[in-house]
Amino acid sequence: MSTLLEMSGVSVSFDGFKAINNLSFQIGEPELRAIIGPNGAGKTTFMDIITGKTKPDEGRISWGDKNISLLGMSESQIAREGIGRKFQKPTVFEAQTVRENLAMALKNPRGPFDVLLYKKTRQGAERIEAIAEQTGLADVLTRVAGELSHGQKQWLEIGMLLAQEPRLLLVDEPAAGMTPAEREKTTEMLVNAAKTRAVVVVEHDMEFIRRLKCRVTCLCEGSVLAEGSIDHVTSNPNVIDVYLGR
Amino acid sequence: MNRSFLAQNPSVLWFLVLLGLFTLVVTVLSEAFGVGFLSTSFVKTLGKTLCLCLIAIAMDVVWGYCGILSLGHFAFFGIGGYAIGMWLMYARTEGIVAESLSNQIIPPTSQELQDAIASQIFGVVGASEFPTLWTFAHSLPLQLLMILLVPGLLALVFGWLAFRSRVTGVYLSILTQAMTLALSLYLFQNDSGLRGNNGLSGLQNIPGAEGVPQSVISIWFLWGSALALGLGYVLFAWVVSGKMGSVIRAIRDDETRVRFLGYHVETYKLFVFTLTAVVAGIAGALYYPQAGIINPAEIAPIASIYLAVWVAIGGRGRLYGAVMGTVVVTLASSWFTGGGAPDVNLGVYTIQWTDWWLVLLGFSFVAVTLFFPQGLGGLVDKLKGAKA
Repeated sequence: MSTLLEMSGVSVSFDGFKAINNLSFQIGEPELRAIIGPNGAGKTTFMDIITGKTKPDEGRISWGDKNISLLGMSESQIAREGIGRKFQKPTVFEAQTVRENLAMALKNPRGPFDVLLYKKTRQGAERIEAIAEQTGLADVLTRVAGELSHGQKQWLEIGMLLAQEPRLLLVDEPAAGMTPAEREKTTEMLVNAAKTRAVVVVEHDMEFIRRLKCRVTCLCEGSVLAEGSIDHVTSNPNVIDVYLGR
Repeated sequence: MNRSFLAQNPSVLWFLVLLGLFTLVVTVLSEAFGVGFLSTSFVKTLGKTLCLCLIAIAMDVVWGYCGILSLGHFAFFGIGGYAIGMWLMYARTEGIVAESLSNQIIPPTSQELQDAIASQIFGVVGASEFPTLWTFAHSLPLQLLMILLVPGLLALVFGWLAFRSRVTGVYLSILTQAMTLALSLYLFQNDSGLRGNNGLSGLQNIPGAEGVPQSVISIWFLWGSALALGLGYVLFAWVVSGKMGSVIRAIRDDETRVRFLGYHVETYKLFVFTLTAVVAGIAGALYYPQAGIINPAEIAPIASIYLAVWVAIGGRGRLYGAVMGTVVVTLASSWFTGGGAPDVNLGVYTIQWTDWWLVLLGFSFVAVTLFFPQGLGGLVDKLKGAKA
């Protein structure tokens, strides 16, 4: 397991409020990591910084084998570098079919002329079908994404991330609003995805995190409060104090 | 553009067939090549409507498909008109001046000829020299190039500045409106080099075709406009189909998400904005020789707002919807404002449609937006759905 992404000394403040405070974090490839923390701990800002949506005030983020810096890259450049992101609210393109959604996400050249002259290939179609199979969407490929159930939309979004073939996957509250059966399936998808790449899951549901059987990082007030196995983190008195409650 | 593209989009074939039939019928009914049922001025109205349809499908691509509500696309249309108008005016005046000077004993020098043309064209604004803008006006190929280049470059620069700063939604609409208003106000000035509020006139006279009657020229332009509309339709249908169409519609629905998929959204918007601006320029260049005159009022913001109304009434996100909206609204507009519609006498008040047409149009716009967001094009979809 080699280090894929390393953040060091990253800080960002909004109107004087330090959302992220001297945060250092690293993740290897492959690895599954869960991030917990109370509301306002900076979990979403943390993802915003990695994906280029928010520019940090200070600190470094180095990425990949060549340790290139992600600072100064646009969101789309970072995505092309191999960082995929799933939002809290499922965001799929509801007016388009499941197949079109997946086709857009497939790892292919992203320039307008590449896309304009893009020809459907058999490999592409097979890849889409394989991903649909993996995410349980094989029967709904031709349906419009807006007609899917909440859980199916979440899976479609995970499927789109897989289609991007990212090296790092950031997943924000994947289990929110899911039925127990859907949760179980989602757990399985994430664990499988993490076999070949780095996956970071932000989640509130401790039961869900326990099932991921992975290392846990607890954020609080923009810095790391505790890191380690779930039992180690949940027995940390500080974590109990600020997050789990007594 | 391969065979499978047309096979996958039967509506494109249908459209081309209908457009061909329409052109044929108008030709057969025209004064020049047929039974003379349609007057030359009506043929010109139809030809102009085809040009408006062309800019409307461009508007549909930029707004209906890509979600950029541009309220400035008529600026590009007007620039196309001015670009062709400069050549038309120059070449025609050159012919007239050369003829009147040819009676002199000493043949005029080229400088004399130039000065005479300039004072003919610019006398009306009190100038007698060619402004730099007219450098290429003598050359048809160069002015044709200008029809593509000037709207394209303006859209490229404007779009780059706006999209790069992530200006979206209503702010972008206001910005585009400001662009067309600024251009219009600039052109209203006498020293803009384009004859101020007089605009360019006499554009219906085609140099080199002096002996050809207007009835014939009107049919030529009808064919030209129909050809341009057909090609434009195929081009846009191709752009909005397949993966490109997928990405463009995705940008309309959630551009942030598209960014995180790795697409550089700004480049795509710029591509769509510029391509549609160029097509709008071509449409303008075909429109104004049929209208005969262009002046700065043509590119006032209201024109671009009308464009949005046509597309909205026709149904956004369907190319044939944009065509339907344009045809219905412009023909209805010329019927109502041209005195075709009988006045309604209410006893205490008489509704004169020349005044009330805009009110009616406004109400239809509101009604369509509220009750039939699919517009007229939605009716076609319903019929298709009923048959299937």
